[in-house]
Amino acid sequence: MAVKNAVKSAVKEKVISKDFKEYIRDVNPDVGLDETIKRLTPEKIEKTIKAVIGGRSSRIKAVMNTCIHCGLCAEACQWYLSNDKDPTYAPVAKMRMTIWEMIKRNGKVDAEFIKQCARIVFTECNICHRCSMYCPYGLDITFIIGMVRRICFLLGVIPQRQLDQAQAHIVTLNQVWLSQNDWLDVLQWQEEEVGADFKDLRVPIDRDGAEVMWLPLGAEPKTGTYHIERTAKIMYAAGVNWTLPSKDVWDSSSMSMFVRDFVTMQRIVRGLYDNAARLRIKKMVLTE
Amino acid sequence: MNQIAEWDWDTKEKYIADINEWRKKFPVVRGLVASDDGEKIATVIQTEDNRFTTCVNGDVWEETFERLWSLKFTPDNKFICLTYKDYEWALAVDKEFWEDRFDSAWNLTLSPDGKNIAINVKKEESYGVSLNGNTWENRFVDARDIALSPDGTRTATLIQTKRLKEGDIFGFQEGIWTVAVDGTPWDKTFVNVWGVTFSPDSKHVAVEVRFNLYDYTIAIDGKTWEKVYNCVWEPLFKPDSNDIIAPVKTSDGWTLAINGQPVWDTYVQLWNQRFSPDGRRIAAIVAPEYGRWTIAVDNIPWNNSWSDAVLPPIFSPDSKRVAAVVKESRNPFHMESALHNVEGNNRYSIAVDGTPWPGDFEMVWDPIFSPGSDKVLAKVEKNGKYFIAIDGRIGKHGYEALWNPVFSPDGEKLLIRCVEGGRYYRRVVPIHEI
Ligand code: SF4
Ligand code: SF4
Repeated sequence: MAVKNAVKSAVKEKVISKDFKEYIRDVNPDVGLDETIKRLTPEKIEKTIKAVIGGRSSRIKAVMNTCIHCGLCAEACQWYLSNDKDPTYAPVAKMRMTIWEMIKRNGKVDAEFIKQCARIVFTECNICHRCSMYCPYGLDITFIIGMVRRICFLLGVIPQRQLDQAQAHIVTLNQVWLSQNDWLDVLQWQEEEVGADFKDLRVPIDRDGAEVMWLPLGAEPKTGTYHIERTAKIMYAAGVNWTLPSKDVWDSSSMSMFVRDFVTMQRIVRGLYDNAARLRIKKMVLTE
Repeated sequence: MNQIAEWDWDTKEKYIADINEWRKKFPVVRGLVASDDGEKIATVIQTEDNRFTTCVNGDVWEETFERLWSLKFTPDNKFICLTYKDYEWALAVDKEFWEDRFDSAWNLTLSPDGKNIAINVKKEESYGVSLNGNTWENRFVDARDIALSPDGTRTATLIQTKRLKEGDIFGFQEGIWTVAVDGTPWDKTFVNVWGVTFSPDSKHVAVEVRFNLYDYTIAIDGKTWEKVYNCVWEPLFKPDSNDIIAPVKTSDGWTLAINGQPVWDTYVQLWNQRFSPDGRRIAAIVAPEYGRWTIAVDNIPWNNSWSDAVLPPIFSPDSKRVAAVVKESRNPFHMESALHNVEGNNRYSIAVDGTPWPGDFEMVWDPIFSPGSDKVLAKVEKNGKYFIAIDGRIGKHGYEALWNPVFSPDGEKLLIRCVEGGRYYRRVVPIHEI
């Protein structure tokens, strides 16, 4: 009972932003935000903000000065529309409450402010780019939100689940922590499955000079193994000469992109192209 | 090279196997693997439901397996493969098994002379390496990638030192990855390590390391370079030395660093650095501007650049020339190009010392220099058939399947391993007849 009440009150409890009084949200505990900010210092925050904004501050200021606060971008945003048109979910508000404030305060913001920024850019925006399309001045709001994500990433302040998947990419280059042998095992096992139904139906690994290389999403060999079997059947029926790579990188997703971990993003893309070059394939087919 | 001199360079043609016949005889015939000297051709065949075995020059192994893969011939013509039966993996060399069995076995790697074989293994729920059947006693939570020393006596792999609870973002950032060499992990751990490589004398190991979410450098034998960078790519030892070169990203762009000191100009991108055989020259892939790729030799980029791709540079035996696969698209962002070939797009060729061959192909394999360094050839694809192209001129014969040709030691002849009319042939052809 006591636990139930505690949960209930936690859900009801609201947090009101000390910087923007209109920004009121449910308390939503997340160690990726609550614990990580304890390691921040004002110096580290300022240095990181300046490093990311760097030579681009005039570009951001131009956006700040060009924006006429017309609110057209709001109509593009699923978060705004699905929250009773609460203006704090409007794309322009997301810029105003994060990077514009950082610029105004010349990078001198505190850890709580960073936590709030992380909550806004990671949990109230999907980087879908619709707002940028709606803005009459073509202001690239999503690019700016991405910069805030980059600042939060470098400070290590990211919701736990998102950071965990991004860290999986750092080491395994797939988002599900799949070991190299498990990847190969799944492919061979799926080949046994389909091989029982169709003579000569393959899940071909490292076929040199194949026309197509299929690059699944990480979840497919982990929890959706039947996708591999079905893809093999489709390729067979379509008469496609295809393959899958034995080596990293085979996961075509990039959680690194969502947290703006530029280095891992590059390693992923480079790894996909390295496999394409190594196997001399002509087309890459990605799951989406 | 010595081994190549001992191959049969006199017999013009050997008809080794009738692959079509195999296809009639067995329910399933999988991909073909040819030996370096062309004398042998191997495949996996199905004998009955879910039972497979190997067939080498028509010789069918009486043992059958549930899975078979990583078929390979060593330079001295031993036949290796990984076999799986009754939930156990075993490595077989000429039908003889290593004693040890594994839950998993992968990354089959040979020493340059082919006499030593290393694999990554999983055994008793822990990960490591087996070298010539001697499996590391020290094993770990996970292992990725393998390196075998040039002398074939030492192995290294990237290991996870501690188990991580699901979602433990803090434990991860403490750094739980490092390199284990011959089963012994380095003292220092990192957020990530990759690109492991041995020195030419087999004594040292270098790797790329990531300290945290944003700092990178190179580590040798567990000791890191003093300078940290925004990013680094794979390190490479200089021949006959312990000097290391690695691409590093500074605030100005990508450059090449030797033992931690940047020495080249900066580029938009720089990777796949290679030393000339004499160790005096360095070539690397560089992007002089966004969306353009070329090769830089000793920090001087070729005049020509390409839109789609430039593959790793290959030096001539005399160290004077450099060749690379290049790919150009006149309209790389054409919407239709994902679906079908757009005129002028996806044109593969070879560039030698910056000058591309006049023709282009549907696909091109790595360029091969003649022993005298004067000629360059490559396997190419045109209209769905495979040809040999020499110095830009495409050969007369198109094959159903073709392996990389090999020059005779005097550079006068070529060994051609090919499939024609469903039959596998080994041919020795004078260069002027190609
Ligand atoms: S990019 Fe973000 S802010 Fe813009 S419309 Fe999409 S979800 Fe909304
Ligand atoms: S649509 Fe453009 S100009 Fe209007 S509020 Fe949004 S960002 Fe500003």
